[in-house]
Amino acid sequence: MIVTNTETIVGHEITEICGLVQGNTVRAKNIGRDIMAGLKNVVGGELKGYTELLTESRRQAVERMLAQAEELGANAVVNVRFTTSAVTQGAAELYAYGTAVVVEPSNVG
Amino acid sequence: MEDGLADFIISIIFICIAVSVPLIGIFGGRISEYQHFRSLVRREEESNDVIVTQLKSFPAANHSDQPPSIVYAETVIASDYLKTLLAKIRGIFGGEVRSFQKMQERSRRETLLRLIKSAREQGYNAICNVRLETADVGGGAMTPGKNAMPMACILGSATAYHASTSR
Repeated sequence: MIVTNTETIVGHEITEICGLVQGNTVRAKNIGRDIMAGLKNVVGGELKGYTELLTESRRQAVERMLAQAEELGANAVVNVRFTTSAVTQGAAELYAYGTAVVVEPSNVG
Repeated sequence: MEDGLADFIISIIFICIAVSVPLIGIFGGRISEYQHFRSLVRREEESNDVIVTQLKSFPAANHSDQPPSIVYAETVIASDYLKTLLAKIRGIFGGEVRSFQKMQERSRRETLLRLIKSAREQGYNAICNVRLETADVGGGAMTPGKNAMPMACILGSATAYHASTSR
C-alpha cells in the first residue's frame, strides 16, 4: 500500500478513484503520564509520554484508514491529512483521512 | 520547647522546598533549552543533504523502484517554571510571549528533524509537502486555572521520495 500526503504519486498513474477513507481514535493519557508531565512542567523539556501517546494514536488511526482502503480494493491512499481535537481534559482525538485510489506504475519517467 | 524546635525545623524544610523548586525550574529549564537549541543546530547541519520542500509536486524526483511513502513525526515539549511565570506576567500587560514562542519553535524544528530522520532511515533522500500542525493532548489550553500545563504539541507529516540531488 502506497500512502502519501501529496495529490499525485511520482512515477505512478492514478487509474481509479475508490473514495474517501478515514480512521479515528480517541485516546486517554494515564495518570502516570500526567504525574510525569506535572514534574516536567517544572524543568521543561520533552514530554516523552505524550509524544508516544500521539505516535500510538496516529498509528492506530492510519491502520483503520488503511483497513478501509483495503476493503475498497485500493492499492494506494493519497492526500492523507490529519486533524486533532481535544475531546475532554485528558483525552485527544486523532483523525486521519485520505483518498483511496488504484495506481499503476507509469512508464514515462 | 522541643515542640517549638521541631516546628522550626519542619518550617525550614518547607521553605527550602518552596524556594528550591522554582530555582531548579529556572536553572534546569534554561540549561535544557540551551542544550536543545545546540543539538538542533548540530542536527540541522547534519541533515542538510536532504531536500525539504512543502510543494505538492515532487521536485527533482527521479525514477526508482521504491515508491514514495508518507512519514510522520510528533513532538510534545513542556514549558518550564520560568516560562510559565513570564507568560503569566505577560498576561497582565499583553504583548508577545517570547518564552512560549521559543518553546513552539523548538517543537517545530524538532518535528522537522524527526521527519527527515524517519525518511532517511527508510532510504529516501528528499521530503516534500511538509505539514506541521498543532495538537492539544488535553493538557494545555483545556485545563483551566492553576493546573494548566502549557505545552507545545506539534504533529508533522510529509511525503518521502527519491530525488536526484547534486549535493
